[in-house]
Amino acid sequence: MKYRVVLGDREVWVEIAPGGVRIDGRPVECGLERVPGTPLYLLRLGESLRPLVLTRDGRDWLVEWAGERLRARVDLGGLGGSGGGRVGSPGGGGIVRAPMPGLVLRVEVEVGQRVGAGSGLLVLEAMKMENEIRSPRDGVVRRVLVRAGQAVEKGAELVEIGEAVE
Amino acid sequence: MKRVLVANRGEIAVRIIRACREEGLQAVAVYSDADRHSLHVRMADEAVRLGPAPAAESYLHIERIIEAARRSGADAVHPGYGFLAERAEFAEAVEDAGLIFIGPPAAAIRAMGEKTEARRRMVAAGVPVVPGSTAVVAAAGEALEEARRIGFPILLKAAAGGGGKGMRRVNSEGELPAAFRQASSEAAKAFGDGSLYVEKLIEGPRHVEIQVFADRYGNTVHLGERECSIQRRHQKLIEESPSPAVNSELRARMGEAAVRAAQAVGYVNAGTVEFLLDREGRFYFLEMNTRIQVEHPVTELVYGVDLVREQLRVARGDRLSIPQGLSPRGHAIECRITAEDPFQGFLPATGLIAFLSVPSGPGVRWDGGFEAGSEIGLFYDSLLAKLVVWGENRSAAIRRMARALEELVVVGVPTSQPFHLRVMRDPGFASGQYDIEYMETTGMELLRRRPADSELDLAAVAAALAEEAERVKPQPGAAGQGDRRESVWLRAARLEGVQWFG
Repeated sequence: MKYRVVLGDREVWVEIAPGGVRIDGRPVECGLERVPGTPLYLLRLGESLRPLVLTRDGRDWLVEWAGERLRARVDLGGLGGSGGGRVGSPGGGGIVRAPMPGLVLRVEVEVGQRVGAGSGLLVLEAMKMENEIRSPRDGVVRRVLVRAGQAVEKGAELVEIGEAVE
Repeated sequence: MKRVLVANRGEIAVRIIRACREEGLQAVAVYSDADRHSLHVRMADEAVRLGPAPAAESYLHIERIIEAARRSGADAVHPGYGFLAERAEFAEAVEDAGLIFIGPPAAAIRAMGEKTEARRRMVAAGVPVVPGSTAVVAAAGEALEEARRIGFPILLKAAAGGGGKGMRRVNSEGELPAAFRQASSEAAKAFGDGSLYVEKLIEGPRHVEIQVFADRYGNTVHLGERECSIQRRHQKLIEESPSPAVNSELRARMGEAAVRAAQAVGYVNAGTVEFLLDREGRFYFLEMNTRIQVEHPVTELVYGVDLVREQLRVARGDRLSIPQGLSPRGHAIECRITAEDPFQGFLPATGLIAFLSVPSGPGVRWDGGFEAGSEIGLFYDSLLAKLVVWGENRSAAIRRMARALEELVVVGVPTSQPFHLRVMRDPGFASGQYDIEYMETTGMELLRRRPADSELDLAAVAAALAEEAERVKPQPGAAGQGDRRESVWLRAARLEGVQWFG
């Protein structure tokens, strides 16, 4: 099977066949095994083993080792498919979702308003802290899907950011 | 004093229970419904339910805690930090019930808790303070007047509390009304009092605090400083002792000022006097924390003392066993391991800790309150554990901390570990030349760094192999062999995992 793996702005093709594994066409002697009874994995490269944590996250895999956490989107190389990269990087789609359950304290934008990457959209209170939810990119507010005082679940749609039309 | 009720949860409850054990005292834990299966509950001699998960109905509920103490036959109460630790009315309620409060007298808590009152007292005691208002400012307009007098930038701060809640930096007049509103509403929520005061913002300072300890017989000592400049939104992330910016001469002067501060309010037991230290070596009183601090272990490691056991002994009426004039030996660093995702702006995370492998070996201390199987919710703060190391000097301590962080594996909940590891590998941190701006500048830059392409390739192969394994043997979250002996909670964790991140 030939997989396309997207990590942020890097795309890697991994071909897994009975004859062996190829990364971007280069043959690599490797395998993956699980440490029994744990969620830990060992990536085997030749004769050496490298510990990793792999966690299924929706359609993606989170790959972790000391100091790193990467989101890998794995597909069969068909059309479409975006995302991947460092957790928290702006993914595809214009919907900004609640990163955690909380209470919407204030909505700071209106429909039609132009926003820049990193500018505040609304303030979500969780764990007694006010967390500013920021726009992942430049654009225009298409829809505001929540109002102040509303409790939201993790993953709830908050604001839609569309392309700015000049 | 024979039986101590520990009015807290998480790592600090565990820390206090350990101290009780070592002092030959019995420990009574309290818990909310969310913490029924927690470590502190199982470690105590007895555990008493307080109520439902929300803190207001459990760990902040004074009557229920007093009732739990009465029912369990406790004769003393240790408040830990946070929750009720700095509420004078709690200390009073404990004493009114005929129990020993393991902490300062209520009057000292009150004097230091009201920040503008504390500033006035410090001025009177000859302790240097940051220029600013000596009274609460009633409205944004009044804050503006004060700001014009001392000059921008300023800080708006909550009169009733600390910890960064209800605090805002204000750079110019235009920012003031919105900042005032936000800070006031945050303060009202956190402390039940939205009052604010104004302080001159000292640019590029360090946050250096002095540990003090006093007994009932008029002895007050200090135990040097803790450097706490690595903070995010005024929440400390990394602490060390000694501070790279403090020599023995400055330590003696700051220590002496801290002792004067404590004596000015009739302080007894452990406390911490926080100072801002500017680039010229001038220091200013910020506030006094009238409780044991989260970061107390770094002081313990370099001074060779046990502050929590000393708290128990002093509360019992013993004289201080710590003499003045101890010198720090070697260097200690603490990293706060929180359930927060550093790659998503340190957003609090929830979930089940599916797997936990804790660092150990020479010079490593883990003060934790959670284990594999612990559920991390949103009801309380996000501190999971404190990883503390000692080394013979600062660079040895940094290398040891990096080594310990590399050993730490937490699966199920994102933690601050990757951030800490990057700081330990940062030459800027190693140089010791940093201040409270570190997080906003270097810290954010460190988090944006991505691994080399060769590392990304390995991650890609691992993910593709995991995907392939799942296709061959379709099970949610499973990849590879070894699933047969998996326990029920591990399976639950994986299933949960799909939902948390999804």
